[in-house]
Amino acid sequence: MSRLAPVVIDNGTGFTKMGFAGNNDPSFIQPTVIATRDGGASSSAPSVPSKPSFLNSSSSSNIASKRGIEDLDFYIGDEAVANSKTYALNYPIRHGQIENWDHMERYWEQSIFKYLRCEPEDHSFLLTEPPLNPPENRENTAEIMFESFNVQGLYIAVQAVLALAASWTSSKVSEQTLTGTVIDSGDGVTHVIPVAEGYVIGSSIKSVPIAGRDLTSFVQNLLRERGENMIPAEDSLTVAQRIKEQYSYVCPDIVKEFKKYDQEGEKYFKKYEGVHSVTGKPYTVDVGFERFLAPEIFFNPEIASSDYLTPLPEVVDNVVQTSPIDVRRGLYKNIVLSGGSTMFENFGKRLQRDIKRIADTRIKRSEVLSGGKMQSTPMEVNVISHKKQRYAVWFGGSLLASTGEFHSYCHTKAEYDEVGPSIARHNRVFGTLG
Amino acid sequence: MPAYHSSFNEVTDLRSVGGMAFLPVKTRVRGPASIADPNEEDIIDEALNLFRANVLFRNFEIKGDADRVLIYLILFITECLGKLTRNPSQREAEKILGTMALGNFAIPGDATFPLNALYPSASSKMDADLLRQYLSQLRQEMAVRLPARIYENDKPGKWWMCFQKRKFMNKSL
Repeated sequence: MSRLAPVVIDNGTGFTKMGFAGNNDPSFIQPTVIATRDGGASSSAPSVPSKPSFLNSSSSSNIASKRGIEDLDFYIGDEAVANSKTYALNYPIRHGQIENWDHMERYWEQSIFKYLRCEPEDHSFLLTEPPLNPPENRENTAEIMFESFNVQGLYIAVQAVLALAASWTSSKVSEQTLTGTVIDSGDGVTHVIPVAEGYVIGSSIKSVPIAGRDLTSFVQNLLRERGENMIPAEDSLTVAQRIKEQYSYVCPDIVKEFKKYDQEGEKYFKKYEGVHSVTGKPYTVDVGFERFLAPEIFFNPEIASSDYLTPLPEVVDNVVQTSPIDVRRGLYKNIVLSGGSTMFENFGKRLQRDIKRIADTRIKRSEVLSGGKMQSTPMEVNVISHKKQRYAVWFGGSLLASTGEFHSYCHTKAEYDEVGPSIARHNRVFGTLG
Repeated sequence: MPAYHSSFNEVTDLRSVGGMAFLPVKTRVRGPASIADPNEEDIIDEALNLFRANVLFRNFEIKGDADRVLIYLILFITECLGKLTRNPSQREAEKILGTMALGNFAIPGDATFPLNALYPSASSKMDADLLRQYLSQLRQEMAVRLPARIYENDKPGKWWMCFQKRKFMNKSL
C-alpha cells in the first residue's frame, strides 16, 4: 500500500509552519491568528475546552445552523490580518499552548482544506507541542484530529526534540544524538530546554523574557532617542523590525565595535530606505549602533530592561548545572539553536565563547579548591547553528515524518476508536506508557 | 559581560582623596594631577572610549579608585552633551563647556553631590580643596577634548548625541 506524505504542522505562538514531510521548507508560514465575525461569541464560549464542531450534530451546532453560517465566516493567517478592519482577530495560542480550542479547530480546518488542500483521511499528521504540555491538551488535540477531521494517523512530537533532530543536517554534528540543550527563541519568549536521550528534563527548563519582540522595541527606542524623524510614526514598528532583521549582528565586544564605527564609518553605518505607507514618499533612515546593540540585550539584558538582568549564557549554564550530573557533558557539547531570534550573525559564536568562559572558570575553581589534586578534562562546549534554524522545529518534524518507521509510531484511527483520546498520552518512540 | 572598568585600577601607587585616584592627565590646565605620557591613553581618553558602552548600563561595581574617576567623568560627559542639544558651532561649544567646567560644582562630601553613597568624603579641609582642584582640572580638560572628539561639520555628531538622554547608573551630576 503506497502512502501519501504525512502532513507536518508546527503551530507556534507567533507563526504556524505547515507543509508535507520530506520537503526542505514548509509550504506555508503564516501568523497563528484567526479573524472571526463575532468578537463576543468566543468570550461567551465556556472556558473548558469545548468542541462545537461543524461535523457534530450536537445541540449547539443546531442553534448555529439556525443563526446562519457565521461559523464558516472566518479567515486565518495573512488573510486574517488583511481583514482585521472588519473582523475580530484572535490568537488561539498563548505562550506556546492552545488556549481556545474552538478557534484552533477552525484554524486547522482552513489550514488543511484551504491551504494544504489535502484529504485528512489519506494522510498521517505530525503536530508539535511545547515542552511540559499537559496530557489533557494532547487528548483534546487527538479528539479534534480524529473525530473532526478523521485523520489516518497522528503523532504529537515535542518541539525541542524536533529542533535537536533538525541540527543533524549541520556539518558540525558528528553523531546523531537526541541529547542536547535547545535554545528556542521566537517572537514572544525564549526557552532553554535540556533534552537527554529524547526526554525533556522538565524540572530544568528555564525561560527568558527576552525575544524578538523586545529586540524590536529596543531598536525602536534607539531610533527615537536619536531623533530619526524621517520615520513616519505609523511605520516605526515595521521599520524597527526590518532594521533588526536586515542589519543586526552580534559583536564580540561593544567598546571595540564603537571604535570600529568611529574609524571606518562608511563601512559600518548603513542606510535603510523605506516608502511611506500612506503617501508613498520614499525616505531614508541612518542605521548605526542598533546593528550590534539589539542582539546584545541577550547577553546584557541590563541595557534594555531594569528588572531582568541574567544574561542568556548564564541561563544556559544554569540549566545544564541543574540537570542530572551524568548528562551535563552531553548538554554542553550539543547546544542547538532554533527560532527566528537566533538567526543573528555570530550569535552562536558569541554564545559558545561566553558559556565556555563560565564553564572553564568553574572547572578552574574546583581544581584550585581541590588543592591541585584533581584534574578535570576540559569541558567541550559546542553551539550549533545550521541553515534550517529558522524553521528548525518544522524541519525536524519533516525529517522524522519522512522516515520509514514513522507510520509505526503514529496512532491510527482504528486504535483511537478502540482506546479513546487517552491514547495520545502514549508515545511509541519511547515504548513504555508515559 | 558587565560594564567596563577602568584599566587604571591596577595602578596602585597613587594618592587618592575622596575615593578618587589622582591619575596623570595629558593636559595644559594647571592643577594637582601629574602630566601623563603624551603617547599613551589617559583617563580622559578612556572615559571617552568607554562612555557609549557604559552609559547603557544601570549597574556598576566599583573595583578601584580609578573607577570612581571614570564614573565621574562619564556623568560629566552626559552633562556636557546636555548643553549641546541646540547644535552650537564648535567654537561656541568650547566656550559653553569651558564656562560650565569652571562653574560651581559639588565634590564628594557636599550635600548636593549625587554619589555620596559610593564616594567617601574628603577627610580634611585641605584634602577637599585639593580634590576640588583636581576635579576642576579634569573638567576643563574634558571640556576641551570632548568637542574635538564629537564634532563633525561644525555640529555635534548625532552618533554621540543619541546617548545624551541615557543615565549611567540612573544618576546625573
